[in-house]
Amino acid sequence: MGCVINEEWIGRTVVVSASGVVDMLTSPQLEASITTSLTKNPSAIIIDLSNVEFLASAGMGVLVAARDQTASDIGFGVVASGPATSRPLKLVGLADIVGLYATLDEARAALCE
Amino acid sequence: MTTDKGYSELAMTTPNYSCPSADGDRFVASEVNADAITASHVRHKFSSWLGCRADIDATRFSDIVLAVNEAMANAAEFAYAHVGGIGKFDVEAVQDGHSRILTVTVSDQGRWRHSDSTEEKRTRGRGIPLMQMLAEDVTIDHSPLGTIVCLRFENVHSRSYGPVVQEVF
Repeated sequence: MGCVINEEWIGRTVVVSASGVVDMLTSPQLEASITTSLTKNPSAIIIDLSNVEFLASAGMGVLVAARDQTASDIGFGVVASGPATSRPLKLVGLADIVGLYATLDEARAALCE
Repeated sequence: MTTDKGYSELAMTTPNYSCPSADGDRFVASEVNADAITASHVRHKFSSWLGCRADIDATRFSDIVLAVNEAMANAAEFAYAHVGGIGKFDVEAVQDGHSRILTVTVSDQGRWRHSDSTEEKRTRGRGIPLMQMLAEDVTIDHSPLGTIVCLRFENVHSRSYGPVVQEVF
């Protein structure tokens, strides 16, 4: 029931991907990874939740905080699809705030240089 | 010793659960430690019970588990913050096969937190709106004795099992 986080670079775009559960227990891990990635001067950051099976409000808060701490000239997007992730993000009105994409390819097409 | 009593460490993330062998219309977790890891355990346990008990689609399943999680997260994160986070909460879920109503109650003996501070508003405070969107009805009663959150979900159909169910494949 834990959360595994990976960081991958595609040029100067960083993809932070999480898998498993992002809840009040594991969301600090995701937050720390995002903060670390942002210190490496990416041109864009994509948070990929494609393999997340449960996303709680604590995880949604991390996404908003990440959006807020990302400079306006750095691209930002979240990849999520399905009843456990994109659905609640849309329900609470975060899809537009964080920039929601259904697939990593879509996010890359929109955000990569 | 009551910590984590009775909770499986297994992460059950697929529909192939072992079903509770008795009292299948009720899920109870009593005197649960009000912390993130125990709330996570109870969520898994509740998920497996719900997957066995209710004949619902993936969206409805996710909605119910998320709403219940948010109620537990409130208890685990805020109820006992004034006493160093030490406390307990109880969860009870009852599914009425006739009315097709699932009622989930999360109760604690802690304090209700009234509002987020200004700097937290953007990143926090989505638990209660989520519960209100995901459940047909939400009532929150708070008093000096504690808080009771009651979530009601309608049209939760039962799976048609025989009287004794050991495994579902």
